[in-house]
Formats: sequence, C-alpha cells, structure tokens
Amino acid sequence: MKKTLALVLAMTMLLSIGLTGCAKKEDAAAADTIKIGWMGSLSGDQAVWGECEFNTVKMLVEEQNAKGGVLGKKIEVIGYDTKGDPQEAVNVAKRLTGQDKVVTIIGPNASGSAIPIAPVLEAAKTPDIATVATNPKVTVLDGKVKPFNFRVCFIDPYQGAAAAGYAFDVLGAKSAAILYDTGDDYSQGLTQFFEETFVAKGGKIVGKEGFKTGDVDFRPQLSKIKESAPDVIFMPYFFKEVALSSTQARELGITATLLGGDGWPSEQLISMAKDAVEGSYFVNHLDFSDPGVADYKARYKAKFSKEPEINGFLAHDAFLMFVDGITKAGEANGEKIAAALENVDVTGITGHIKIGKDTHNPEGKDAAILKIVGGNYVFQQKYAVK
Amino acid sequence: MLQFLQQLINGLSIGSVYALMAVGYSLVYSIMNFSNFAHGGVIMLGAYFGFFYLTIYKMPFIAAFAAAALTTALLAVVIERTAYKPLRDRKAPFLYFIISAMGASIFLENIVIATIGPTFRTYPQVVEKAPVAIGSLSIGRLDIMMFIISAICLGLLVYVIDHTKIGKAITATSYSTKGSALMGVNTDFIIITVFAIGGLLAGVAGVLFGMKYTVYPQIGFITLKSFIAAVFGGLGSLPGAVIGSVLLGVIETFTSGYLSSQYRDLIAFVLLITVLVVRPMGLMGKVTEDKA
Repeated sequence: MKKTLALVLAMTMLLSIGLTGCAKKEDAAAADTIKIGWMGSLSGDQAVWGECEFNTVKMLVEEQNAKGGVLGKKIEVIGYDTKGDPQEAVNVAKRLTGQDKVVTIIGPNASGSAIPIAPVLEAAKTPDIATVATNPKVTVLDGKVKPFNFRVCFIDPYQGAAAAGYAFDVLGAKSAAILYDTGDDYSQGLTQFFEETFVAKGGKIVGKEGFKTGDVDFRPQLSKIKESAPDVIFMPYFFKEVALSSTQARELGITATLLGGDGWPSEQLISMAKDAVEGSYFVNHLDFSDPGVADYKARYKAKFSKEPEINGFLAHDAFLMFVDGITKAGEANGEKIAAALENVDVTGITGHIKIGKDTHNPEGKDAAILKIVGGNYVFQQKYAVK
Repeated sequence: MLQFLQQLINGLSIGSVYALMAVGYSLVYSIMNFSNFAHGGVIMLGAYFGFFYLTIYKMPFIAAFAAAALTTALLAVVIERTAYKPLRDRKAPFLYFIISAMGASIFLENIVIATIGPTFRTYPQVVEKAPVAIGSLSIGRLDIMMFIISAICLGLLVYVIDHTKIGKAITATSYSTKGSALMGVNTDFIIITVFAIGGLLAGVAGVLFGMKYTVYPQIGFITLKSFIAAVFGGLGSLPGAVIGSVLLGVIETFTSGYLSSQYRDLIAFVLLITVLVVRPMGLMGKVTEDKA
C-alpha cells in the first residue's frame, strides 16, 4: 500500500516537473502573446453557465486575434474549473496568477467565489472582472474598494433604483407601495434603493409591507396596500412569491401596475400567474430579444450550435472591458491594466459600461426593462437612472 | 369599515386552512398524548398526491380529491405502524415519540426533495379565479369552497366521535387507554383508526392548500402554525382546535393589517404564551398534566 502511494506520488512529481517544463517552453515560444485567464464552473449545478462563458471568451479571443489582437500581440486564454466551490476558486486564482502568469482574469460568475479571491489578486497585482456576481461585497468591502476586483454587471441595490426611476419617469407613477421579504438581503437591498430613488424624484411611498421568507398568504398586507391606492406596487422577490402575491392582489381587486427585479423571469411565473402579472414590468440584466444582442447570439449559435445563456452576454462585455483596459494601459501589465480599468468607457451588448473609481462597478449601466404581454417577456427599452 | 370586513374575510379564510390541519394534530394528541409532527409531512404528500392524480392520471377533481385523502390515510397508518408502534410496544417515554415524529417529518420532506425535486408545482385550475364581489369586498371562490369543505369534514368528524360506537371507543381511549382496554376496547385498532382519520383530513387539507398556494416540499413548515393554533385552542379538544385556528388566523391578519406585518408572529406568539400561562390547558382543553 505504502509502495503504491510512493509510486503514485513519484509519478505525480515527475509529471508536474514535465508540465511546468512544458509551460516554461511555451512561455519562451509565446513571449509575443498576451495571456488572460478565465475561471468559472465547468462542472456541477452551474456548468451550463460556465461553459457558455468560457465558449464566449474563446470565441471573442479568436475574433480579436483575427483582427490583429491587442497591442500588436495575439491573445491566449487559459480557463480552469472552479466547480462552483469558493475554496477551489482560490486555488484556480493562485494557479492562473502564479503559474500561468495571466495579466487579467475574467469570471467567476458567482459572488461566493468572486469574494474570496481578492487577496490572491492583490498579492499578484492582477485584476479580475467578475461576470454575474451581483453582491456589493465583490468589489467593495467595509467601505473600501478592492483594488483588483471589477465587475461588469449591475449590483443588487441598483435594480431597485432603476425600477423606481422607470416607474416615476416613464410610467408616470406618483405613488408606490412596496411588498418585500424582510428575511432576504436581495429583497431588502432592492427595497431600500427603490424607496430612496422614488422619494428623491418626488414620488410618494404610500405603503411598505413586509413578509417573511416562506409565507404564502399576502392578503392582509395587500388589503392594507389596496386602501392607499398606489399607482404601482414594487415586488422585489423571487417568482414563486411573485406568482402568489400578484394573484392574491388581483383577487382583492388591486389594479395597480406591478414592478419587479431580476428574480421574476421564469416559466413558472407565467404558468401560475399569467393573468395576474399581465402588463407588469421588471428590471433585468438584458433582454434576449433585444436587437443589440442579436449579432452576438447569431455568432455564438453559428459556432456552438446552441443559444447562449445569460452569463455569456456578461462574459462578452467583460472581454470588451479587458480590451479597452489593456489598450488604455498600453502594456500587458496587471497593475497598469487595473489602473486603466478604472477608466473603462465602452458600450457593450448589455449596456454602456463606465466603471466607477470608488466602486469598480459599471455605474449608471442601463438596465433592460421588460414587460409581460400575453405571457411573453417583451423588451421595452434600455434604462438608466439619472 | 370596509377594510375591517375585508381583513375579517382574509382572516377567516386563513383560519379555516389552519383549522383543517390543526384538527389532525389534536385528534392524535387526544389518544396518544404526543404531538404528531409527521402530520405536516402527510399534509405535504397529500398535496402532491392530489396534484399527480389530477395531472398525470387525469382524474376528475372529486375523484382525485378522494383518492388523495385515501392515500394519505394509508400513509398515516403506515407511519404509525413503522415509527410509533415499535415504541409503544416497548413503552418508550413520550419524548421518544416526538423525536420519532420529527424524524418521520424530516424524512418525508427530504424524500420528496430527492425523488420529486425541490421546485414548486402549480395545480391546474379547478375553481374559477375571479372572486365573488360584494360591493368592493371580494371573497375568493376557492376560499368559499375551502370553508364549506372544512365545515363538512369537521361536522362529519364531530358526528362520528359523538354518535357512533367507534367514536365512543375513541373518546373512551382518550380518557384512559388502559381503562378502555380493560373494558374490552381494541385500543390498537382505535389508534389505527385515529391515524387513518387524521390522514384523511391531512389529505383534504393538503389538496386544498396545494390548490390555493401551490405544492412544494416545505409545506410542513406552514403546518407548524396550525399546531400552534391547536395548542392555543387546547390540544386534544376538537372544537378548541377549530376555535384556536380561526382566532389565530384573524389575529394574524389584523396585526398585519392594522399594525405591521413584522409584528404578526410576535403578537401571535405572545398571545399563545399568555394563554398558556393563564390557562395552561388552552382555551378549550380539559386535561393538563404530563403532556408534551
């Protein structure tokens, strides 16, 4: 037994020597390429999303190289599987920065994996652009921005502000009521920013009612909201509660327009509450049928013969951010790219991306407003709060 | 005033859901002297059975309803035979029954997550969704139906307990298991009967709950409220369970409606503790000693 173990260990050592050797040779041979890293889930629950992200990045690298690459050099992408595990994400980040010496990392999609890699990035002075990690803590911790963490998606509180702005400016709502989940960070964040923005614009919050995660009956709260007769009701939670509460609201004779966030879109919502949510609006990262994304969708489908997932769209824009950053930096150096990423100003397929220096988030990024019409999600417009 | 009436209707409707579930807890408690937490799991499965009978086997609603109730009755008896009878035979302390019941409840929830999946399912529409409107008050058709079905079930149950031979045997057993066994009552059979009745009610409650709020593995969590209602009304007393449930539903609704929904559970539980401190047997309970 011990002998076998020793043998296996010896083989592993030999192999790793061989592999590092190879890598070094490649280094020498490919000194005129710029290496970028990708990390995300290629196995487990989120494998579909990860695969789409990696495919998208590979596709864009090829396209960019065909156009002559960046800074006169070809780009090479190296990707590893995080298995959706924060611990594994740290290992992957160490490997990408330490062994592969990439200049920038794209991904991961999950906030849980994007948060713990910050120390690795700081030690290696390599920037990371997260794709769909929406938790505020990914880029800002205890009020201080993390120097090497960036992201391409909007954050949870932003959606609330966008919903409020759209309700007031576009839908012309003067009064709003909020029903929210008091036990959920996502719901609370959206609620807080909806309220602040709506009031700042001159609107009036006429009712704010909470419920607890797991509740199924919202009629007491809704009856109270009905009394105050709001123009819109904001429902910042997930589709199951949305289905139940919207149906109950209609049962009580409430005719106000319903509003929500990216917790809404689901086939279950339509199958359960088709009539109740008809004519409602919600904020999303993008719309699949938006004309602005059609080109990327077609290219992706032609190459991989399937439709891209939502993550692909954001990975696409993360790559655009990288290209803009490295071009501005003028040098394939992680620290310089990080500094340049703070000044990124590009128009991606998911909206205009202008990174905030204090937040490292895309500021004022347009949200996609979708309306439910006849059981379909119909794109209305790109929208940014002003 | 209008708001008051609407909230009263909301409260009665929520209360009648609690009542149907609470009676099952009370019934088993009156005989076995322990809280059968597996009841929540059986209700949850009742909702799933009803859903599958309706969608996969395409049964007409009444047939699916009855079939679901019969299946859960059988399930409740199976749970009694496997999880409780071995304990009874060994004269285990009551605490063991409660732990066994909790185990059964967790088992049922997880077996559903593992086999059917954690996502929720929606019942096909059986009753028209548009509510009955009286002025600007609205009463859901499903609520009316639930109220009527609950009333019929509870009425039948009271009739069976008060006016049939088996009902008398159940009453006798609830006073003293040993005494009625000495008088020639087959107590083992009575226990099976009680579980079967509890299972029937669980099936009815499950299907009604599923129709109103969709079906998902954590329904058992909601049934805890009905357990509280049963304690509130007096565990072991059927009228107590019904009154406790309706009161709890109305109190909750008024708290949410007039104070704040954050205070809903706070007030409901403070009330529960107050009732237990002032009247440990609950509103309608008879016996107080040594019950868990």
